[in-house]
Amino acid sequence: MLELGPIFRALLRNKIGAILIAVQIAFTMAIIVNAVFIIYDRSQQTKRPSGIDEANTFFISSSGFGDDFDIKGTITQDLEAIRALPGVIDAIQINAIPISGSGSSMGLQTKPGAEHDGTGVAVYMVDEHGIKALDLELIAGENFAKSDIRWRGPAGSKWPAKVIVTEAMAKRLFPDLSYSEAVGKTVYINDVEPMIITGIIDKLQAPWVGWDNLDNAMLSPEKMEFQSTRYLIRTVPGMRDQLMKTVEELLAENKSRVVDGMRSIDYVRERSYRGNTAMIKILTTVIVTLTIVTSLGIVGLASFSVNRRKKQIGIRRALGATKADILSYFMVENFLISASGVVLGAVLTVALNMLLVSALSIPPLDWFYILAGMLVLCLVGQAAVFGPAKKATEIAPATATRTV
Amino acid sequence: MFGYYVKLAFKSIKKNPLLSFLMVFAIALGIGASMTTITVNYLMSANPIPDKSEQLFYVQVDSWDPHNAFNDESGDPPNQLTWTDANNLFDAQKAVKQVLMAKSGGIVVPEDKNINPFEVQIRLSTADFFPMFDTPFLFGSGWDMAVDSKLEQVVVLTKKINDKIFGGENSVGRNITLAGQNFKVVGVLDSWEPVPKFYDVNNGAFDEVEDVFVPFKLKETLELPSWGNVNCWKSPDSEGFKAFLRSECINFQMWVQLDNQEQQSDYLMFLDNYVSEQKSLGRFPRPMNNKVSDVMTWMENQQVVEDDAKMMMWMSFMFLIVCLLNTVGLLLAKFIGKSSEIGLRRAIGASKGQVFQQHIIESATIGLLGGIAGLLLALLGLKGIESLYGDFVKNLISLDFTMAATGLLIALLSSVLAGLYPTWRACNIQPATQLKSQ
Amino acid sequence: MLTMTNVKKVFRTDLVETHALRDFNLQVDEGEFVAVTGPSGSGKTTFLNIAGMLETFNEGTYQLDGEDVSHLNDNQRSKLRNEKIGFIFQSYNLIPDLSLFDNVDVPLRYRGFDAKERKKRIEESLDIVGLANRMKHLPSQLSGGQQQRVAIARALAGNPRFLLADEPTGNLDSAMAQSVMELLKEINKKGTTIVMVTHDPQLATQATRNIFVKDGQVSEINDVVAMHVANG
Ligand SMILES: Nc1ncnc2c1ncn2[C@@H]1O[C@H](COP(=O)(O)OP(=O)(O)OP(=O)(O)O)[C@@H](O)[C@H]1O
Ligand SMILES: [Mg+2]
Repeated sequence: MLELGPIFRALLRNKIGAILIAVQIAFTMAIIVNAVFIIYDRSQQTKRPSGIDEANTFFISSSGFGDDFDIKGTITQDLEAIRALPGVIDAIQINAIPISGSGSSMGLQTKPGAEHDGTGVAVYMVDEHGIKALDLELIAGENFAKSDIRWRGPAGSKWPAKVIVTEAMAKRLFPDLSYSEAVGKTVYINDVEPMIITGIIDKLQAPWVGWDNLDNAMLSPEKMEFQSTRYLIRTVPGMRDQLMKTVEELLAENKSRVVDGMRSIDYVRERSYRGNTAMIKILTTVIVTLTIVTSLGIVGLASFSVNRRKKQIGIRRALGATKADILSYFMVENFLISASGVVLGAVLTVALNMLLVSALSIPPLDWFYILAGMLVLCLVGQAAVFGPAKKATEIAPATATRTV
Repeated sequence: MFGYYVKLAFKSIKKNPLLSFLMVFAIALGIGASMTTITVNYLMSANPIPDKSEQLFYVQVDSWDPHNAFNDESGDPPNQLTWTDANNLFDAQKAVKQVLMAKSGGIVVPEDKNINPFEVQIRLSTADFFPMFDTPFLFGSGWDMAVDSKLEQVVVLTKKINDKIFGGENSVGRNITLAGQNFKVVGVLDSWEPVPKFYDVNNGAFDEVEDVFVPFKLKETLELPSWGNVNCWKSPDSEGFKAFLRSECINFQMWVQLDNQEQQSDYLMFLDNYVSEQKSLGRFPRPMNNKVSDVMTWMENQQVVEDDAKMMMWMSFMFLIVCLLNTVGLLLAKFIGKSSEIGLRRAIGASKGQVFQQHIIESATIGLLGGIAGLLLALLGLKGIESLYGDFVKNLISLDFTMAATGLLIALLSSVLAGLYPTWRACNIQPATQLKSQ
Repeated sequence: MLTMTNVKKVFRTDLVETHALRDFNLQVDEGEFVAVTGPSGSGKTTFLNIAGMLETFNEGTYQLDGEDVSHLNDNQRSKLRNEKIGFIFQSYNLIPDLSLFDNVDVPLRYRGFDAKERKKRIEESLDIVGLANRMKHLPSQLSGGQQQRVAIARALAGNPRFLLADEPTGNLDSAMAQSVMELLKEINKKGTTIVMVTHDPQLATQATRNIFVKDGQVSEINDVVAMHVANG
C-alpha cells in the first residue's frame, strides 16, 4: 500500500535532510556515470590491436662504439645468426617499435610541391623480412624484393623509390579509390621526392598511441648504417622468453658494443597504456569508495530518522500498520528522495561531461549511461535504506504507550 | 571555555562512535582523494626555480614552413631552434646570460675494466647552464665560456654517474671515455631534480636530469647524435651530418636571462632584427613571430600539467563535496538528536553564542580528525599512484609540509563549513519546546 | 466481547523478572464503558497493551469477539487491531510531521479504504471532535486538549467496535478532562465499547463499570463508595 501523499508532505517538513541526501546522490551519480564512461572509453582504447604479433615479439638494442666498429657487417651477421636460431620465425632491423612511444614520422602527399599538404605517417624502415617479422598481411601489391633494400647512412635524408603503406593510410591518401587501386600510385615524401606504392598491408599502428593518425604507417625498404640500432624478433608461440635470453647472450658476444633495452611488446603495451590502466584503476576505486560513502551516508541518516521516529512507528503499528507497511514507508520515502536526486544527477552528469569534453580530450557521453546511472543510484539508495527500514519494522507497537 | 568545548566535543564523539566514525571516515576519504590529486597537480605545476623564474626566458623564432604554421591552433612559433639560429643568437651574446642546449647520448667506456661499457644521456649545453639554473655542485664547477669556444672536451657528471664510475670519489681532473673521445671531468653535480624538468619539457617534462653535461659546440666536431624531438618542415639539402646541422630541422633549445622589462623589449627587438636579416638571406618565410616566455609561462604554454591529472583533481573535488554533504547530513542528525541536551543547556542558561561555539568546535574537531586520517590516506593514495604509474611520477608523489598543512586547513575549513548549518539549527532549538513537547 | 482468563505477563530483563499481570481475569461486554484504576505499576497499561494486541502474553487465553488471539501472527494482529480497535494515549501520540488530516488518515490508509471514503471519514470524525476547520494544521499548532481530540478523532475514524484509552486525560486540566470524558461517553452511547485507564476517581465514577487493578490482578468494584473506602 503506497502512501505517497503523506510521505511526500512529511518529507517536505524535513526538507534539509532529504535535500542533503538527494544532492549527495546527484553528485555521486555525476561522478560515477562520468567515471564509468571514461573507464569504458579508456579500456576500448587500450584494447586496440597494434597489428603485430604482440605476444611473441621482442626487441633489443645494440650500440657499437670505437672507430673500428663495422656497422654493416655486424648487422648482417646479427640478423643471419638470429634468424637461424630455432624458434625464431623472423627477425629484422627496425628504426622504431609500434606503440612504443618513440619513432619518426613524415608527411606523404599525392602531388609534389611544398604548397601541398601532406598526411602524417609513421615510418618503419625494414628489409624484405619486415612483413613476416611484424606479422602483417599483404592485402594488395607485393612485398619488397631483396634488391629493393638499400643502406641509409647515419645522417641520410633521401628516400627509396618504393613504399608499402597501411590500408588506413591508402584510404587517407586516395579517398576515392579502393585500397588495391592505390598500388602503383606515386606519392611524394619531403614535398617532392617520389615513392611508388608497391603494396598495401592490413594494419600497423604508429609508435604514438595518443596520435590522431595512429593507423597511418609506411614501410620503407632500407637498412640503417647507424652505430645504435635495434632488432625486432618474432618467435613461435611459447618461445619468446627463452629466446630473449639466447639472443641477448648471442649479441653480447661482440665486446665492442653495448647490448641493452631488451623488451617484449607486451611490456611496451603495458607501458604505453599505463596511463589508461592507471586511470581505470583509480576511477574504479573512486566509484567503489564513493558508492560506499554515499550508501553509508544514507544508512546513517536513515538510521537516525528511524531512531527519531521510533515513537511514530510505534503509533503507526498501534494503529494497525503491518511490518510490511513500515518497511514500505521507508523504502518509498527513500525512493522519492533518490528519484529527485537522480534527476538533478542527470543534469550534473551532463554538466560535468561537458566540462570534461571542453577542457580535456574526453568524448561526449552516450545518453543511456545517464539512464543506467539513474537506475543504479536508485537501487543503491534502496539497498542502503533497507537495513534501517528493516530495523524500523522491529520496533514494538507497545512503544506507543511505553515511551513517553 | 575553549578547552571545555573541546572536551565536550570528544565526549560527544565517543558517545556516538558509529556516527562519529562515519563522519571522520567521509572527511578522511574526501581529503585523502583531494590531497592526492592536488599534490600531483601542485608538483606538476610547481615553480622549479622560484628565485629566477621571472628572469629566465625561453626563446622562440618562427623559422617554419611558409605553407603551414608550426602549431595550427595557437599559431605559436616552433618550440625549438635550428642549429644555425641557435648558434647565431648565442654568438650575438645580447642577453645577460644565455644558454644553448640539446639532448644527445653516447657510450661511456670506464677505465675500470670491471665496469661494463654503458650508454648515457648527454645534455649538450653552454657554460652559463650552471649559473643560470643554480645547479648545486658536489665537486668542482661548470666550465667557462672560453671552453665553449675553444671546443675543449670537458664534462660535468651527475652524482649518479660519478658514483657509478668513480665510486663517489672526487673525480675532478680525471678522464672518461665518452662517445669514443677523451673527456676531462671538471665538476660533479650534487643531487638535482628540478620538477618539472623545466629547461627541456619537450622531452619528458618529468624525466630525470641527463647523466652528463658536455659543451654544446662539440656536437658538430664530434658528430654527436640528435636525441629528443627532431622536427623538420623541409629535409636537409644533402646527405650527412653537416647538412643536417645546416638544415631547417629543429632540435635545439635556448634560454636567456633578462633582468628587467627594458632588457626584455631590447631582446625582442634584437630577435626581430635578426629575423629581418635572415629574411633578406632568404630564410624565415613566415610572418615575424618571435617570442620569449618566462619559466612559468613556458610551462603553461607547453601544458606540462597532464589532462588526466587535472581531470582527477576535478573529480576528487566533487568527491570531497559528496563527502561534505554526507558530513552535513550526519552532523545535522547528530545535533538534532541532541536536541533535548541542547534544550536543557539553553534552559540552564547557555546563550546562543555559547551553543554555537560548542557545536562549531565539535565540527572542527571532527574535521581535524578527518584531516589527519585524510593525510594518511593521501600518503597511501600517492603510494598507489606511484605503483600504478611507475617511474614517470617518481618526482610527483612527495607530500611536503605545505601540502600537509594545506590538507589540514582544507579539512578544518570544510568541516566548519559543513558544521555551520547543523550548528545554526542547534542554536535555534528552543529551550521551552524541548522541555514541553515530550 | 473481551474475555481474558488467567492471563500472565512476565517482563524479563537482565536483572529482574517483573510479573506485570498474574492470573488476570476480566470479561468486558459489548457496549460497556469500563474505567480501570489502580496504583502505579500495578499493570494497567500492560493489560491495555495486551487487550489491544500491542504486546503478547505468556500464559492464559484472550478472546476478542469470541476469537482466540494468542496464536495470531504479527500481520493478523495488525489487521485485527486496525479494524476493531481504536487507541487513545495519554500523550496524544500524534505524528508531528503530519497535518491533522493526515494524522487521522493513518489508520484508514492501513485499512485500505479508497480516497473518497477516507476523506469522508476524516471529515466526519474531525467534525465530531469539533476540529473540522483546522484540518491543515500541524499538531504543534494545537493545545493539549485539542491534540487529544484529534487523537480521539483518529481512533474513531476507523469506526472501531472497541476503544482503548490509557489515561486520556492525564495531561489535561479538569475542565478539559471533563469535556474529553463527555465526548467518550457520547461515543459509548452510540455503541462503542470503551476501556479507559485513569487515575482520576472523579472520571472513573462516570463510567458504567469500574475495575481496580492491584499487583497484576483485578478486583472489581461496582460500588463507588466502596472504592473510596478501598483507596483509604
Ligand atoms: N517493557 C518492560 N520491561 C520490563 N518491565 C516492564 C515493562 N513494561 C512494564 N514493566 C513493568 O511492569 C509493571 C507494570 O507496568 P504498567 O506499565 O502496566 O503499570 P501501570 O499500572 O500502567 O502504571 P502507571 O499507572 O504508572 O502507568 C511495572 O512494574 C513495570 O515496571
Ligand atoms: Mg500506565
